[in-house]
Amino acid sequence: MKRREFISSVGRTVGLSVGAGFLGLGPTVRLSVSPTLLIPMDDAQSDHLKAYGVAYRVIQAGLKAEWLLNYRGGSFFVPDGPAIRREAALAGVALEPVDDARLTAIRGEIAGANADAVPLEKAPKVAVYVPPNAAPWDDAVTMSLQYAGIPFTKIWDPEVVGGGLKDYDWLHLHHEDFTGQYSKFYLIYSGSPWLAEMVHDNQTAARQLGFESVPDLKKSVARHIRDYVENGGFLFAMCTATETLDLALAAERVDIAASYADGTPPDPQADAKLDWSRALAFTGGHVEPDPTVASFSDIDGHQVNAPGRRQPLGAFKLFNFSAKIDPVPSMLVQNHRQVIPDFYGLTTSFIRDRLKPGDTVLADEEGAPWVKYIHGDHGKGTWTFFGGHDPEDPQHQIGDPPTDLSLHPHSPGYRLILNNVLFPAAKKRELKT
Amino acid sequence: MRPRLRPRVRSALFALALGGAAPLAAQAIGQGFELERQGRLTDAANVYLTTLRSDPANLAALLGLERVFPSLGRLAELLPLVRRAEGTDTVNLLLRALELRVYAGLDQSDSVRAAAERWIARAPGDESPWREWAVALEDQRLFDEARAVLQRGRRALGKPTALAFELADLAQRSGDWESAATEWGTLVAMNSAQAPNAIAQLSDAPEDQHEKMIRVLTGAGAAAATRRLGAELLLGWGDATRAWAVFAPTVTQSQDAVLALRRFADRAATVPGPEAKRVRGLALSRYADLVPGALAAQARAAAARALLDAGDRAGARGALERLAADPSAPADAQALAKATLVEILIGEGQFDSAAATLAAAGDRLNGEDRESLRYELVRARLARGELERAEQVLAADSSVDALALKGWVALYRGDLKRAAELFRDAGPYAGEHHGATERAAMLALLQQIGEEQDKDLGAALLLLARGDSAAAVAALRRAGNALPANNGRADVLLLAGQVAMALGEVRDTTASEIFAGIVAAGSGGAAPPAAELGWARLLLRRGKAQDAVAHLEHLILTYPGSAVVPEARRELERAKGAIPRS
Repeated sequence: MKRREFISSVGRTVGLSVGAGFLGLGPTVRLSVSPTLLIPMDDAQSDHLKAYGVAYRVIQAGLKAEWLLNYRGGSFFVPDGPAIRREAALAGVALEPVDDARLTAIRGEIAGANADAVPLEKAPKVAVYVPPNAAPWDDAVTMSLQYAGIPFTKIWDPEVVGGGLKDYDWLHLHHEDFTGQYSKFYLIYSGSPWLAEMVHDNQTAARQLGFESVPDLKKSVARHIRDYVENGGFLFAMCTATETLDLALAAERVDIAASYADGTPPDPQADAKLDWSRALAFTGGHVEPDPTVASFSDIDGHQVNAPGRRQPLGAFKLFNFSAKIDPVPSMLVQNHRQVIPDFYGLTTSFIRDRLKPGDTVLADEEGAPWVKYIHGDHGKGTWTFFGGHDPEDPQHQIGDPPTDLSLHPHSPGYRLILNNVLFPAAKKRELKT
Repeated sequence: MRPRLRPRVRSALFALALGGAAPLAAQAIGQGFELERQGRLTDAANVYLTTLRSDPANLAALLGLERVFPSLGRLAELLPLVRRAEGTDTVNLLLRALELRVYAGLDQSDSVRAAAERWIARAPGDESPWREWAVALEDQRLFDEARAVLQRGRRALGKPTALAFELADLAQRSGDWESAATEWGTLVAMNSAQAPNAIAQLSDAPEDQHEKMIRVLTGAGAAAATRRLGAELLLGWGDATRAWAVFAPTVTQSQDAVLALRRFADRAATVPGPEAKRVRGLALSRYADLVPGALAAQARAAAARALLDAGDRAGARGALERLAADPSAPADAQALAKATLVEILIGEGQFDSAAATLAAAGDRLNGEDRESLRYELVRARLARGELERAEQVLAADSSVDALALKGWVALYRGDLKRAAELFRDAGPYAGEHHGATERAAMLALLQQIGEEQDKDLGAALLLLARGDSAAAVAALRRAGNALPANNGRADVLLLAGQVAMALGEVRDTTASEIFAGIVAAGSGGAAPPAAELGWARLLLRRGKAQDAVAHLEHLILTYPGSAVVPEARRELERAKGAIPRS
């Protein structure tokens, strides 16, 4: 599953090994032809986010589904059965029964258009990197997974350093600061109980795992994550995790952390000593040296907490890829909206000039010097970075109430997150050349 | 936080403040500004340099160069020009400030110090050199050094409030809110006009700093103005009762105290909750004691309103009585007092007195207020079961509000057909939105019932209107069970179940029985899914999430077209713990 190999066989008429329990049938049977329910993902869908959960549980039950790239907003074919219908009804997910004639027509339409049907075979095992005491709704991915009903495991530094990543297909990072500077809130929010807890937990973890400082620990965690991707893992990161992961990797041999974090001042020549060849996505960034400014580098385009540098929010546009030639980026941008209002995060966007040449831009703001959503390969695996904190809370502030996704069942921003969860389930195929 | 003026902004302001420059020079400077605005910084610099060749001490040109040179990487060129200007104009302190800023911009801290010391020596009683010196250090993030300069300046100037703004700002920026409060407290004690600035600055303090700051501001020996500052902060932080306890003893006849009292009362109006409303009422009452004539009457009327909103009827009544005894009170204050008094009397159940007061008010109340109070009185009589009296008041009234109220009278008498007609005639515009919703719900219930008359149901609904919910549940069950199965039985029983559920855990068993009966009977219509939703909510309330989930799933799957399905899905999410606590 951890190999990024796609498009060898189209598998459009693959026989379906059907899990009896889920279909509500008797003993396991083989359906001869096709799935017969369509989960539409255009405006006909009544709950886009839960639709991903239904599709996930279909493949989790051992059944096969198909993801119809660029067809009606990235719809799904799933096998028909009372259990699936029940699941969808409870979740409020719209289904459309598809008879053989319509099935043929849809396949014909897909064949003749910039669209494709990608088989989904195995439910990925999902790990979310998050401190043990974080609330489930503390970040966008755990919220969307919880809302869609997709199971996940929380892991943190001990599991990562202990080699636990190999047990998972998909790893998510959110607003962790891999430079080990507590999101640079240490001075700004000095005295806040939540900050004290964050500092205590990180320092305890560093001590217990044998590291001299939190920045040292986080560098090690970053290396493990890069190795995980190199060995075929799927990585998805949002908000600060994107920028700081690469900063931690590039700064493997140089101190960029403020003295409050590791007891020593940062190297004044840090910029010159950063080794970007170790990083996944970015190159040539300049570290923000001021410990009182909650910004890490000039990789972020919006600089939400940097006085005088903060940029206003616009809207970002998803790119349209060739579903048959570029299935991976196609999967990642499936949506019923092409233009999505932007949202802040401690890292909101990525300056174009800081991207490595091999990066694939999935979404950008037209005319702006930054992009929003990027993807790339590293070794046998892939990484995807999405700027911003919460797609439905554009101005998110510390202490704001959590987003209630049942009030945003059609959120196009959250759909992008769930595209990432599902795309490791796609059947491996050899890349066409 | 008080915005700090950055050097470029400050110099722009200084430049704008310059007047009386020679017309040609002014024209050239204007051209320079325009070039700056267009982003042509090199051209702007050339204009300023040209001006300085003929007028070496032209401050606007020097400040223009201070703005554009840093972006061009040429700030060092400004230093000799400033020195030359100082030689020409030895008294202009703005040039001293500019010199200091240029040194700071060039990161020459020793020269900053030397320039500041020279300036201090020339102007020993002036705060400016100390301030500029500290700002230069702050710009380099040398906060401890900046604080030391300010403290040294305060000692040298011999004034306890000297440089207090800067020290407070610096303390606040470094998270030392206690020191910031101390500085502001001292400043406000010397000049109470600074109180609004102090509040604006200090109100953003993190919650864990509040108590320390209040101790500083309200401790023994704190001046009255300082204690008032503490009280206003407490009010803004939501502790209205304590705020008033701190504030009230500081109120005197002085103008400062009266102004502060008014500000306190106005600020209380922006704080949510009944306590803040009560405190506003108390502050306005006290304010009314201290100001003359019409102002006092208006304040007393507003105080009564605030006290009434806070539920303090006795306090409101006291304020109104004093207002009524004031012959100089203007007509609008009297009208407000009368209206409020009628509301109080209705709230106290003194309907006859309320009616008499309303009648006596006559033209002093405008028509809309008078009608509104009259309908409120009718509603109150209905809620007490005085159907005859209510009907008498409405007899000759054909307004839509009156039709709506007559509909309730008919309903409580068991005349279901007439009630439905009147509700329909009243339409959706009578009264407030809540009333319209209640009528729509009742109309929906009546449409399910085929009977034209049902005195038992009317009596049961009257019990409900009078607030006797427990008796209403039993009466509604009896009335519902007496109806044919397909003629609204389930709907009336559903209402009984919902009332029982609203009574809390003591009636949970009754509510469960009623809901279970409706679900088991499974008639068509909207009642069974609504009953199952109520049942699930009861189970959730009792911590039986698994059972609730089973009912919610059954509801969603059995009645997919029901209007309550979206609510059921949300409850399902809640039961599964997927909706965040907020």
